[in-house]
Amino acid sequence: MNKYQLYKLLRKNENLKDRRHPMFEKNRFMKFLLIFYWLYNAAILLFIGVVMAVGMKGAYNGVAAYHVLDGWFPIVLMIDFWVRFILQETPANQAKPYTLLPIRRSFLMHVYLTRSGFSLGNLYWGFMLVPFGLIAIAVNFGWITYIGWLFGWWLLCIANGFCYLFVRTLLTKHLAWLLLPVAIQGAVIGFMFVPEHNWLDMPCTILLNAFANWKALYLLAAFAVIGVLYYANFRLQNAMVYNEISKKEDVEVKRTAKMSFLDRYGRLGEYLKLEVRMKTRNKTVKIQFATGIGLMLMFCLMMYFGNAYNSGVGKSFVCLYNYAVLGTMTLISIMCHEGNYIDGLMSRRESIYQLLRAKYYFNSFLLIIPPIFFTPLMAVGKLSVWMNLGYLFFTVGVLYPLLFQMAVYNKDTLPLNQKITGKQGNTTQQVVSIAILLLPIAIERLSVLILGDIWGYVFLIFLGSIGIATHKIWLKNIYRRFMARRYANMEGFRASRNS
Amino acid sequence: MDIIIQNLRKNFGEKVAVNIDSFRIHGGEILGLVGNNGAGKSTLFRLMLDLIKADEGTVRMADASTDINVAETEEWKDWTGAFVDESFLIDYLTPDEYFQFIARISGKTPEELQQFLDKFQHFMADEILGQKKFIRNLSAGNKQKVGIMAAMLLQPQILILDEPFNFLDPSSQSAIKHLLRKYNEETGATILVSSHNLQHTVDICPRIALLEHGVIIRDIDNSDGQAQRELEDYFQVTD
Repeated sequence: MNKYQLYKLLRKNENLKDRRHPMFEKNRFMKFLLIFYWLYNAAILLFIGVVMAVGMKGAYNGVAAYHVLDGWFPIVLMIDFWVRFILQETPANQAKPYTLLPIRRSFLMHVYLTRSGFSLGNLYWGFMLVPFGLIAIAVNFGWITYIGWLFGWWLLCIANGFCYLFVRTLLTKHLAWLLLPVAIQGAVIGFMFVPEHNWLDMPCTILLNAFANWKALYLLAAFAVIGVLYYANFRLQNAMVYNEISKKEDVEVKRTAKMSFLDRYGRLGEYLKLEVRMKTRNKTVKIQFATGIGLMLMFCLMMYFGNAYNSGVGKSFVCLYNYAVLGTMTLISIMCHEGNYIDGLMSRRESIYQLLRAKYYFNSFLLIIPPIFFTPLMAVGKLSVWMNLGYLFFTVGVLYPLLFQMAVYNKDTLPLNQKITGKQGNTTQQVVSIAILLLPIAIERLSVLILGDIWGYVFLIFLGSIGIATHKIWLKNIYRRFMARRYANMEGFRASRNS
Repeated sequence: MDIIIQNLRKNFGEKVAVNIDSFRIHGGEILGLVGNNGAGKSTLFRLMLDLIKADEGTVRMADASTDINVAETEEWKDWTGAFVDESFLIDYLTPDEYFQFIARISGKTPEELQQFLDKFQHFMADEILGQKKFIRNLSAGNKQKVGIMAAMLLQPQILILDEPFNFLDPSSQSAIKHLLRKYNEETGATILVSSHNLQHTVDICPRIALLEHGVIIRDIDNSDGQAQRELEDYFQVTD
């Protein structure tokens, strides 16, 4: 078999891996949903592209619309970077099944790295950029500039993809590597938002303008950067492939907290301990938690130093987001991590009810974090105490009951510790997440508008208090409905386990 | 506590996984379940534990004062212990924490837990307790031991173990046989064990059910220990 035939075989296996995913084999509707969701996202990007191109036309004192977008390209790349955690596997992981076969490891790495570079995923932003450029560039500056500009964006996405692969692979070594992109992106955000004017605006615009005008030096530099990133990845992936195969992490537990203060709560206390241990001992859950805290901190800093969130809606968004983000991130996939040991839980009486209670109390307890972050903002008068109290009660008493409903419907097991990439949520979960973040702002705005500043928030406190006071009733209701659907859910958890 | 199976059917697509008209496991019995791969042993256990939905029929647990359908109530979970596979284990706990968790949610005191663990010292062979390892980092055999012990920790009246001898070293296999026999004698519990190991099954089970394509094709009385030949003939173990 020559190298080309081998390449074709590897490509065929990769395609089969996607097509024969257990969830799709079991569920044709899932296939339809995925295609629908893919098209839905594409349509949104398309819409954004068109709206931005039309909206920016002449809106910035003669500055071309595409220069305005170019100034913000680091933000697009940041989103692109984190989305890749959901979708993109590392070559080291992809090469795993072939390591004991007589295929050169370096060949495997070249195949998978090249496929990563030329992946269609790197063209996904095209749904936004193609219509945007068509309206904002092709018409005014000609087709050659337009194609050059798109080409430049594509190069940036490829480079970004290689950066992701680098970090993602290092993460298998130690979680602390997550700080690398966080620090870099934090610095970039700092340069963009802290000063009065975006410091990166000019260099970003110059770079993409150079691509648009086919400036050879810039293109050569871009190729060189991609080449360096490719080579760095090649070396790293090659060295790390055995790490993916035989992870021997956490072999020795350094210390275990007994949490005996929870003993007084009997069975509930045991489930509370279980919840704490799940959050602190599993890589995927820890990353989720750290990301939530990071996002909260980032929004607080942006509000503290910048002016972007000083409007009524802006304040509401930041305040709500800080209260809701952790709960939304974890509760939207409630029970999905428990899918790994659902049979054990289901063979104990009422264990799911106790677990739901523990999750409610634990997530409510975590809401001591936002007020701590907000203290400086309250001190400088950027946020009111009433707004904080309003959202605190609203989150615990209204948003959490809504999010907990997902316990009835979730049936995809999420990996606890094995891998960082993988399934991170389905369409229903994402729709609910968006609703959770948008609906309360509408309710808050409306109540503040009708009742005034303080009474508006008192109304939110009142709504939340009802949910808090009745939490045992609605949790019991969720538990009963979960039990009514238990067979379908357990089947789903089993089918999606280790897949 | 008796287990009564009536008209139990479970299909996966075209494939018949379980098809049992009537079968009764008497209280205090140790029943061995044998059959080739795909015969339906694990599916039958999962149906008994209400972990999958039967297409038809019922599994009931009954004694002089109780008669319940496992699909209709959770009451039976108070007196039933089971270990089918790793999905019964919470693998980010250490074995010590896992046993404490199971003990406390089952209403056992720390003293009762300690007494229980003492009985299993030999079985654990200093490789489970106090090892500072999460269950996920244990060997397959030690995970199996943790699962079996957790099922027995409840001191159940009904104990269901799927392939309990798998992954265990010879001395642990011997130890678990001894422990199961002793537990049955001391408590009068009903014990169900599935296994591909005919010798172990014959050694501890006075009654053996042979499963083929979901149907119990033979209900073998092994009280005199003579089932070995019949099973070997069926599985064509001998020439």
